[in-house]
Amino acid sequence: MKRKLTRKQKTEAKWGLIMVTPTLIGLLVLNFYPIVQTIYLSLCKTGDFGIGNVFIGFGNYIDAFKDPEVFQAMINTFKYAIVTVPIGISISLVLAVLLNRKMKGRTFYRTIYFLPMICAPAAVAMVWRWMYNMDFGLINHALGTNTGWITDPSVAWICVAVVGIWSGLGYNMVLLLGGLQDIPKDYYEAATIDGASGFHTFFNITIPMLSPMLFFIIQTGIIGALQLFDLPFMIMDTTSRAFSSVKPITYLFYEQSFIYSNRGYGAAIVVVMLVIIGIITFAIQRLEKKWVFYN
Amino acid sequence: MKKVSALLLSSVMSLSLLSGCSSSKDSIKVAIWDNNQLAGLEQIADDWSKDSGVNVDFEVLDWSSYWTMLEAGVSGGELPDVFWMHSAYSQMYSDAGVLLDMNSYIENDDAIELNNYYPGITELYNSNGTQFAMPKDHDTIAVVYNKAVFDKYGVSYPTSDWTWEEFAQISQEITDKGKADGVYGTYMNTGSNQSGWYNIVYSFGGSIVNADKTKSGLDDAASLKAMKFVADKILPTCPSQDSMANTGGDTMLVSGKIGMYLDGSWMANAYYSADNKDDLAWVEIPYEDVNGDGQAQKEERVSIYNGLGWSIYKDSANADASWSLVSALTSKEGQQKQSELGVTMAAYEGVSEAWTQSFEGMDLSAFSDVEENGTLVFRPYTKYTGRWEDAMSTKLISAWNNPSTMTDVCKQIAAEMNATIAAE
Repeated sequence: MKRKLTRKQKTEAKWGLIMVTPTLIGLLVLNFYPIVQTIYLSLCKTGDFGIGNVFIGFGNYIDAFKDPEVFQAMINTFKYAIVTVPIGISISLVLAVLLNRKMKGRTFYRTIYFLPMICAPAAVAMVWRWMYNMDFGLINHALGTNTGWITDPSVAWICVAVVGIWSGLGYNMVLLLGGLQDIPKDYYEAATIDGASGFHTFFNITIPMLSPMLFFIIQTGIIGALQLFDLPFMIMDTTSRAFSSVKPITYLFYEQSFIYSNRGYGAAIVVVMLVIIGIITFAIQRLEKKWVFYN
Repeated sequence: MKKVSALLLSSVMSLSLLSGCSSSKDSIKVAIWDNNQLAGLEQIADDWSKDSGVNVDFEVLDWSSYWTMLEAGVSGGELPDVFWMHSAYSQMYSDAGVLLDMNSYIENDDAIELNNYYPGITELYNSNGTQFAMPKDHDTIAVVYNKAVFDKYGVSYPTSDWTWEEFAQISQEITDKGKADGVYGTYMNTGSNQSGWYNIVYSFGGSIVNADKTKSGLDDAASLKAMKFVADKILPTCPSQDSMANTGGDTMLVSGKIGMYLDGSWMANAYYSADNKDDLAWVEIPYEDVNGDGQAQKEERVSIYNGLGWSIYKDSANADASWSLVSALTSKEGQQKQSELGVTMAAYEGVSEAWTQSFEGMDLSAFSDVEENGTLVFRPYTKYTGRWEDAMSTKLISAWNNPSTMTDVCKQIAAEMNATIAAE
């Protein structure tokens, strides 16, 4: 049975729609239309500059599944996500809890940890690139070693992950701080009176109360990590022998689409990634009900 | 919080939509990728603006953003009025029909006569009789060396009558003597193609792409011999491939970590602005004594050359003014100025001497001498050069780290190149 709207509700609905229209148009033009275009392109053998596209069905996808480079790039991307997301969030959680206490220089520390966030990612990457430099870099100089941080395949991906974790810390920390300050003090007082240790209050009060914020950070963190592009590209040279073991899937898309002028194949790669991210997001959303606590 | 960010986002979006379309009638947008050339080109353009009353706005991007911008611009139907063209992409752009057909302009312009330019460049920017870009410049390759390094280890400076074998010997000598200081003879990474091993391949009589651009030449006997020479004689005198992937050759040369380095004339300005520019000197590229007569024949000394072109967007609102600017930049007078201002060597034959003397205290005649006593080979290209050239420098990484596999790797690359070129 349909309920009739009152006049007031109607006006409200109308104004609501008017208010969201700019965002809606922006989303449609800048996000949804390109997605549809990309999916169409992925089904074509593309001519240069979008002229002379020929529809070929799933040819690009078949090629992509047979391409060992795509497979390798997928592994690289997941490896990066699996390492950076949990470590990054754990560190920022610890930092947030520590900086939530009354202490000297609290604002100073908060600022320090947030600083990486306000630096341009390209500038951050350039500085790290010099620090990692094998012959002239600060790190090798300080340690007295001669490690090829960004050329040795066994360590290069970790070095990229370190920069990724470091530059995400501030953002996560500020969000978690916000979440922490929303937790009513009464819970902690009650726990203290009951004689609970700091360890117990952290796992039985802080974590559950913080779970909505944690959930948000985990979800956006995973999506962000799977869309990694700029870091390896900026930190490493393409002639580094470690590049193939770090190259993320979005770089492969860029390489195929813009360097090799192979738009259709690039589009197919990125659509596969879109589907994978979609599935993961869906799975996380289902898990939400299991452990996220909304009071 | 959410509302604020949504509002911010949507206003940013609408702003960016607005700024996308703005092209005023009395200014010409010019896009280039080399910041070193900006000042000189602006000076020529300013002179032109005084006569024409039309302003010129230069936009400088780095190499890869430049091509991304152009490609996006073609799809979106919005390009700069005037922009540089390069052999790696020219065929793609001319086939797409986005570049102005210059034939009628050239015919009606007394200042332009195509026979006066280096034929390889004019030809490159001509498709079935249609000239789609005017030759802008040409570049060649020479060897830059750091005199301080040579002095320190008591090695005598190279002279222009040297062979590749002698180049390798000198490089080895510096490497041996500089071992304790971590100094090497030279530097040649997998991506040092145009200003690196391409030159060696062609001076040995080999090729990268065959003459009619249908097959790879990398598996020719002469090419394989050249690459084996690189593996056996040059690479052992270079820093490790890891080092080279960390730091560029120009940086290493200027900071005295290597003794000598092959580089292109487009880099002269960068070396000239180094603090220790007095330590840096140029010498002609070595030759390979293929016939063993102990002398350098013209075809035994090869420098790869390339030349940029000035293109005009076909649908430019200012096509006539744009042509007038391009004409001013490529006429004999404009080319002479470009040369004198030290921007680059000219595409117009015979006016590049001024460029070699335009950097006081640094003699650049090594770049023009090779035209007298050597051969200029145009930078190898096919329609999709990027597809095989990029893959080539990636594949070569394994051979660089394991030089004994060079021949096999080159054969593999040639096979893959053939497949890529066949698919064009």
